[in-house]
Amino acid sequence: MKSIRRCQHIISLFILIFIAGMAGLVFKLQHESPFYMMNSDNHELGRVYDRHGEILFNGSSDGNWADEYGDNYFIDIGNLIGDDKGQMTNTLVARNIEKLNNYSFSGGLVSDGGKSAIYTTLDHKANRAVYDSFLGNKGCAVAYNYKTGEILVCTSLPSIDVTKGYGNIDALESGTLISKTMYRTVPGSTQKVSTVIAALEIMGAEKLFSKSFNCSGKYINKSGDTIDCHEFYGHGTLTIQQAVEKSCNPFFAQLIEDGDLPLSKLKKIYKRLGYAVNDDKINYIDIDGIKCESASTTLTDPNDFQTQWGCLGQGDTLVSPIQLMMWQSAIANGTGKMTMPYLIDEVTNVRGKITERAETTFSDRLFSEETSDTIRQILLTNGANNYTYAISGYTIGVKSGTAQVDEGKKENSLLTGFVDDPMMPVAFCVLLEDRNSTSLKAEQIVKVMLDALSSK
Amino acid sequence: MSANPISFAFSCIFVIFAHSAMLVNVFINGSYESLTPVITLAAAVLFLDIAYFVIIPFFRQSSYTVDFLLLLILNMSVIFQSCFGGVRLSVKHYITVIAALAACRAGYLLCRNYKWIQRQRKYFYIGIGLLFIIILTLTGSRRMWISLGSITIQPSEFIKPLFILVCATSVTAQQKKHKILCFNVVYENLALWGLTAMICLLQWWCRDLGSLPTFLGIYISGFLFRICYPKAKLSKKTFILAGIVLLAAALAAMKFAPAYVQERLHVDIWSDTNGNGYQQSRALIGIANGGWFGKGPGNGYLCNIFAHDNDIVFATVCEEWGLLYALMMICVILIMLAIPLINPPRSYYHGTIAAGVCAAFTVQMALNIFGSCNMIPFTGVTIPFISSGGSSMMASGFMIGMLVAAQSPIFKESAPKQKKVKSMRRLAQ
Amino acid sequence: MNTLNLILCAVAAATLDICALVLILTAYSERRSCKKRWDKLTGTMELAEQSMTYPLVCDEILIGRHASADIRLPDISVSRYHAMLTVSNGVWVITDIGSKSGVFVNGNLIKQAVLRENDTINIGVRRLIFRRRSDSYVR
Repeated sequence: MKSIRRCQHIISLFILIFIAGMAGLVFKLQHESPFYMMNSDNHELGRVYDRHGEILFNGSSDGNWADEYGDNYFIDIGNLIGDDKGQMTNTLVARNIEKLNNYSFSGGLVSDGGKSAIYTTLDHKANRAVYDSFLGNKGCAVAYNYKTGEILVCTSLPSIDVTKGYGNIDALESGTLISKTMYRTVPGSTQKVSTVIAALEIMGAEKLFSKSFNCSGKYINKSGDTIDCHEFYGHGTLTIQQAVEKSCNPFFAQLIEDGDLPLSKLKKIYKRLGYAVNDDKINYIDIDGIKCESASTTLTDPNDFQTQWGCLGQGDTLVSPIQLMMWQSAIANGTGKMTMPYLIDEVTNVRGKITERAETTFSDRLFSEETSDTIRQILLTNGANNYTYAISGYTIGVKSGTAQVDEGKKENSLLTGFVDDPMMPVAFCVLLEDRNSTSLKAEQIVKVMLDALSSK
Repeated sequence: MSANPISFAFSCIFVIFAHSAMLVNVFINGSYESLTPVITLAAAVLFLDIAYFVIIPFFRQSSYTVDFLLLLILNMSVIFQSCFGGVRLSVKHYITVIAALAACRAGYLLCRNYKWIQRQRKYFYIGIGLLFIIILTLTGSRRMWISLGSITIQPSEFIKPLFILVCATSVTAQQKKHKILCFNVVYENLALWGLTAMICLLQWWCRDLGSLPTFLGIYISGFLFRICYPKAKLSKKTFILAGIVLLAAALAAMKFAPAYVQERLHVDIWSDTNGNGYQQSRALIGIANGGWFGKGPGNGYLCNIFAHDNDIVFATVCEEWGLLYALMMICVILIMLAIPLINPPRSYYHGTIAAGVCAAFTVQMALNIFGSCNMIPFTGVTIPFISSGGSSMMASGFMIGMLVAAQSPIFKESAPKQKKVKSMRRLAQ
Repeated sequence: MNTLNLILCAVAAATLDICALVLILTAYSERRSCKKRWDKLTGTMELAEQSMTYPLVCDEILIGRHASADIRLPDISVSRYHAMLTVSNGVWVITDIGSKSGVFVNGNLIKQAVLRENDTINIGVRRLIFRRRSDSYVR
């Protein structure tokens, strides 16, 4: 009878809704239980490997895994890979700790033989060589494959060997617990690459190459302030190619003041490149969950001292080495699109099944292909003219920079560029702090880095 | 005796089997120091099984399935509760289980003759009224509990079965229409509507928003039965419109709810694992820790968390027995509610009772389980039969008693009515 | 937790499963006995039209034109809610519930009447026969 059937319909309705909810719950539990487990007090972590299968981190509780390796064997990646102790939050392990969880809902915690692991793109041997080449000086170096985005080298000094614990954490030098590649620093003349890109985008190559400005060692700008050149006697009349090679400040100051380079357009290009202009909120680049700062600068008036210095790489301008390196990829690719870097190549779960595999991604177009070709040629010429001896054996496009920090007391040396070789598509950025205190040159570090990477 | 002695015997044997398997599991996987508590537990459970099987044939029901399922789930719950944090017979829970069984018998005896109980409707209204007065006067300010020494009673639990009885209706009752203005109205429906509004107000005032959805669920089932009999035909459009209005009302209620409700609605438990999200985050970790097969009876650590035996009992069972077992426990309750689908009730009144009970149970289970797993706001309602708590246990037992009554009804008129029928027959001739 | 314990868990769960299954089977066997009991109580009656038969399987049966009626007679001469069949103590009673055209049993207009086997009920233009179900003899 209908009335009885109606009862049954309503009963089935209630039960079906409930069962649907239960199914959702079971799915949710299956899906999210590793996350729940990470919030628990006891967990078993897996391992992190480099690109050749060398171990970089072992989170399982089976004793001191690093004992068999030499002293400070892992110090070069200490502040990049990090650990689960919670002292460093912006590291690979800290940001991806869920992926290392040796747990599955059906198997529970696996303390022995859990296969969850992160396979990184790092080349530990090369990284180690680069670390050593700093000879104890502070700084950082980062390099990646600009075709695929794999980060090959990423080291920062001073660093810490996390396998030995933190000791007296207050006594650590500042900057020990962060990877300097990801934080903004004064870019020095490497900033001029951005300015040239902007000028090319706005004027076009022909017009820019037709311009020439005179440098007498000093330039008094339109608002009466003095822009010094590092060459006391001046460079004379320069074209853009020469200005880039000589890294001439008065040339660029005059270029900024030039009527063909309106500030509004300059701002637009800078923003597109990723700068936080004036009071903008700073952008972050996400590399497998690790937050990397991008760049920032102040641009108010083309005749203003501060704005001009900003475009020369001093003043308020700050750029992270990773960002400098990524711009090089947009140049080296010839497309004007940055290759987005990544550290994690593959992730395996507790049973060893690959759950995640990295894919190469590109940014939006930052500048046109013509611009890319032109700046690429400028940098390659610079490399051929000035670095063939220091970095022999490679066809590189490169731009150096000297950044004054601590109100001019110290000078940092920067070198950013790319290798123009389809067999070895590497873009890099090296920062050597306080260059006057050492005889080491940034070029030497780059040479070591490229040698280590090519000998694979 | 039963009409199906063979299936009766088989059911007895398999219920005892299921309990024995659980007890063996406790014996081998459980955490205990001496054997005594395990033996006590086993003896208590098996004794209750056998005693109940001996007693129920005297009630001469035509169907015993629901009784078996009830006993199955109740003794499962005794074993669960006895194993939380080490094996020992939970005497308090055992007593409440017996009380629930007694309440079930009472519910059956009261409800099996629907024509009789339908005439007692006014007493249900009075009963609910009394409980209202008790809640308003005897419980502490704005709380749902009465403390009597070491026992606490939750009177609002007892409103649930009464409310189901009030919501239940027969087709005949729905035909007693009266004309008010131009509407055909059944007085009883108006009374019910008023009562629902009052219960809602009371719950709101008591800040016991946990049981509010349960009452609404019961009312919705009752309401669905009633709207089938107005004079005008209800179109699907009206249904959808009503649904939209209800949804809008619910959303508005959420938006304008008082601050303490808002706080509960938007809790990110993982950012506050030691404050508001304490129980839920522990519960979820416990479930994750247990996996499919659990840590073994008595080996969980959730038993150290407040309200592990009622509010987050699902997680505690999951941790110790595994999600698989917990799901089957839920499944047994669902089968119990779904028995009217297999063996349909023979009267509309009993059908409405069955649907009401089903609504009350599913809504409560949903609130508890989904609440403790952070799918919906966490409210302190109980899972019927699994959570500890005498009031809820007895009320749930009574409700299952009503379900049993729907399965084994008696169709008898009282004596004076019978004469009337005879005289009418003469009239008809 | 080792394999043995795992197996034990699985066995316990399986036993519970089997138990639930047995109880469902019991429910099905009881459904048959309940049906028999019901038939005995109510005398296996049905309402028959020319081509249709309506078995009477619950204790309140609403006859009318409305979609929610148990026995739906879609004819304009039938009221939306026309009549109600109820059973108590094995006796079926038909009651007029405010119909426009009335209920006739064996040709007599009635308000309420006890039905006996092979009574003819006229509702609007429809004619129904109250009779014993034929399949009950077979069984």
